[in-house]
Amino acid sequence: MRKKIAALLIMSLSLMSLAGCGAEDSAVPEPESTAQTKAADGSDNAEKTIKFGVIAPLTGTHAEYGQGFDAATQIAVEDINAAGGVNGYKLELECQDSAADAKTSSDIFTRYAEDDEIMAVIGDFTSSCCKANAPLTEEYGLVQISPTASDPSYASMSEYCFSVMYNQSTAAPWTAESVVGHFLGKSECAVMYLNTDWGITTNDYFLSGLDSAGIKLLGDESYTENETDFSSVISKLKATGADTLVILDQGNVPTIINQVKGSGWDCQIVSLGPGASDQILDLCGDNAEGLVIPCPSYITADNPDTSDFYKKFYDKNQCAPTDHSLCAYNAVQALTEAIKSIDGEVTRESIKDALKDVSYDGLAGHTQFNDDGGVSRDLLIIQVENGGYVVKEKYGYR
Amino acid sequence: MDGYLISQIVNGLCLGLIYALIALGVAVIIGIVGFATFTQGEIVMIGAYSSYYVFLWSGNNLIYGMIASFMITWIIGMILYKVCYAKFFDSPEYISLICTIGFSMLLKNLAQIFFGAEKKPMLNIIENRIYHLGIIEVSRVQIMVLVTVLIMVTILSILFTGTSWGLKLKAVSQNREAAALVGINVDKTAMIGNCIGCAIAGVAGTLIGIYYQSAYATMGATLSMKAFTSATLGGLTSVPLAALGGILIGVTENIGIAFSSASFRDIFSFGFLIIMLIFKPTGFRRKRGARA
Repeated sequence: MRKKIAALLIMSLSLMSLAGCGAEDSAVPEPESTAQTKAADGSDNAEKTIKFGVIAPLTGTHAEYGQGFDAATQIAVEDINAAGGVNGYKLELECQDSAADAKTSSDIFTRYAEDDEIMAVIGDFTSSCCKANAPLTEEYGLVQISPTASDPSYASMSEYCFSVMYNQSTAAPWTAESVVGHFLGKSECAVMYLNTDWGITTNDYFLSGLDSAGIKLLGDESYTENETDFSSVISKLKATGADTLVILDQGNVPTIINQVKGSGWDCQIVSLGPGASDQILDLCGDNAEGLVIPCPSYITADNPDTSDFYKKFYDKNQCAPTDHSLCAYNAVQALTEAIKSIDGEVTRESIKDALKDVSYDGLAGHTQFNDDGGVSRDLLIIQVENGGYVVKEKYGYR
Repeated sequence: MDGYLISQIVNGLCLGLIYALIALGVAVIIGIVGFATFTQGEIVMIGAYSSYYVFLWSGNNLIYGMIASFMITWIIGMILYKVCYAKFFDSPEYISLICTIGFSMLLKNLAQIFFGAEKKPMLNIIENRIYHLGIIEVSRVQIMVLVTVLIMVTILSILFTGTSWGLKLKAVSQNREAAALVGINVDKTAMIGNCIGCAIAGVAGTLIGIYYQSAYATMGATLSMKAFTSATLGGLTSVPLAALGGILIGVTENIGIAFSSASFRDIFSFGFLIIMLIFKPTGFRRKRGARA
C-alpha cells in the first residue's frame, strides 16, 4: 500500500512539474497578440490573425440551426483564408454552445468580451439571447452580429448590435397579407406561437398584418419553449373551425406538424421561422406535404450562386443548409467587408464603425445595415411538394 | 359537457398516461431501493434511442425495439445502481439524490455527443389511425400507451404481491437489515428493483418516441419532473397510485389549458401538487412512505 501511495505521489509530482513546465513554456514566447497590437506595427502580416467568437445553440431544441451556424461560419472563414485572408489577416473562430439559453449566452458573451483576442461576436440564434447580450455589447464595446435575430427591437438596443436577418416588423405582416391572404386565398386562420420575446413580437406584427388584410383571426395560442405535447393547443384551435394554421416558431415546428396531422386535423399549415429546413422533411415525412414557408432564400445544389456553399455545408453537416446558415456565413462576410474598409488599426471600435457603412453583394443577397443595425430582405414563398421544397413565388411577390 | 371539453379531457388522459408510464418506474425505484431518482427522464431518452436504432436495423419491428430498449436500460440501471446507490445506503439521502442528478446530466451530454443534438425521426412505426367513439377521437398509439400502462400496473402488482420474488423486493424495501438477517441478498435484490424501474422507463421511452415521432437527447427533461410529481402524488412508492397521479396531472393540465393558455401548463400541474400536499401530505396513500 505504501509503495502504491509513493508511486502515486511521484506520478502526481511528475505531472505537476510537467504542467508547470508547460505553463512556463507558453509564457516565454510573446503572448499571442491581438489584432489590435499587430495591426499597429503594420508588419509581419502573414502571421496576424483576427478572431471572432461564435455563440450558437449547438444543443437543445434549436440544435439544427446552431450546428448550422458552426458549420457555416467555419466555411466562411475557410473560404476567406483560402483567398488570402482580409487585409493580410487570417481569420480564426471560437464557437461555444448557448443551448438557446439567455443566461448561458450572456456568460459566453462576457467570456468573449474579456478575451482581448476576440474582435467581434457572431450570434446568438434566438432574439431573446441576443437581447440579453445587448447591454453587454455596450459595456464591453464589442460588436454582436446576429445571423438570425429578427425581433425588431433587438438591433436598435445598442450601436454594437447588428443583425443580417430580415425584420419581423415587415416579414410577419407580409406573411399575413401576402402568404395567408393572397397566395393561399384564405379569409380566416388560427395562430400558435412560441412564448418568447421573438414569438410574442412576431405574433403582434402578424396579427396587425391579418387585421390590415381583413383576415379573421379564429384563435391565437402561445406555448413555452420546452413544450413537447401540443395536443391541448391543437384541440383548442381545431375547435375554432379554422382550416389554416400559422405556426410562429423554429425548432418545434416538426413536432407540431406531426401532432396536428396525428390529431386528424386536415388544415393548411403555414410556418414563419424555420426556413426550408431538412429536419422538417426528415421528421415529418408525408405530414409535411403542403406546408408553406416564407423564406428569404432557398439554397439548392443546382443554384449556381449557392451550390459551392451547399456542397461544403453538406460535407460538414450531412444536411442541406437553411437560410439561417447562409446568414451565419453572411455575418462573417459582413465583418470581413468591414475590416477590409478599415485603414488604420483594427479594433473592436473600428469594426463597429466600419460595419455601419458596409454595402456588398454576398451569398445572402445585398447587405447594407440601416440606422438601427438591421437589414431588409425580400422573401420567397416555398411549399413542400412530393417530399421536397418547391419555390412557389419568387422575390418581389406583392 | 361539450365535445371540446371532452376532447381536452381525452388529451389530458393520454398525456397523463405518458406521465404514468414514467412514474411507474419512479415508484418502483423509490419503493425498492429507497432513494429518490432524477434520472428517469434520461433513461426514457436512452430507451427511445435504443429502439430508434433497432427500428432502423429491423425495419420498424416494434417487438425488437421494445426488447432492445428494455435490455439496454436494464444495463444502464445496473450501472446507475453501482454509481449512485450501492455505496450510499448508509449516507444521507441527498448524496445519492445529487448523484442521480449528475448521472442524468452525464447521460444527456453523452447522448448529444454520440447520437447528435438533432431530433431523430421515428415515423410510421405504428399506422396513424384515428378511432371515433362518438365525439371522442383516439389514436392507435394512444390506445397502445393505455394498454401498456394497464399491463405494467397489473404485472408489477402481481409481482410485488403474489410472488416470492416480489416478497423479497418488498422485504428489502421495508427493512434492509431484517431482510439480510433472513438470508436475502439485499444488494442484488435492490439492484434488480432498480433495473426493473429503469427498464420500465426504457419501454416508456420507446412508446413516447413513437407517440411524439422523434427521439432526441433532451426529450426526458420535462417528463422526468412530471413523472416525479406523479409519483409524489401517489405517495412515492405505490405503482397503481403513481399511475393515477400521472393521469390526474395530465388531465389537470389540459383542463387548465382549455380555459387559459398552454404557457401556464406547469402552473396547473405543480399548483395541483402543492394544493394536494397541503391538504394531504401523504399523497393518495393513507400512510406516508408506505411501501409498494
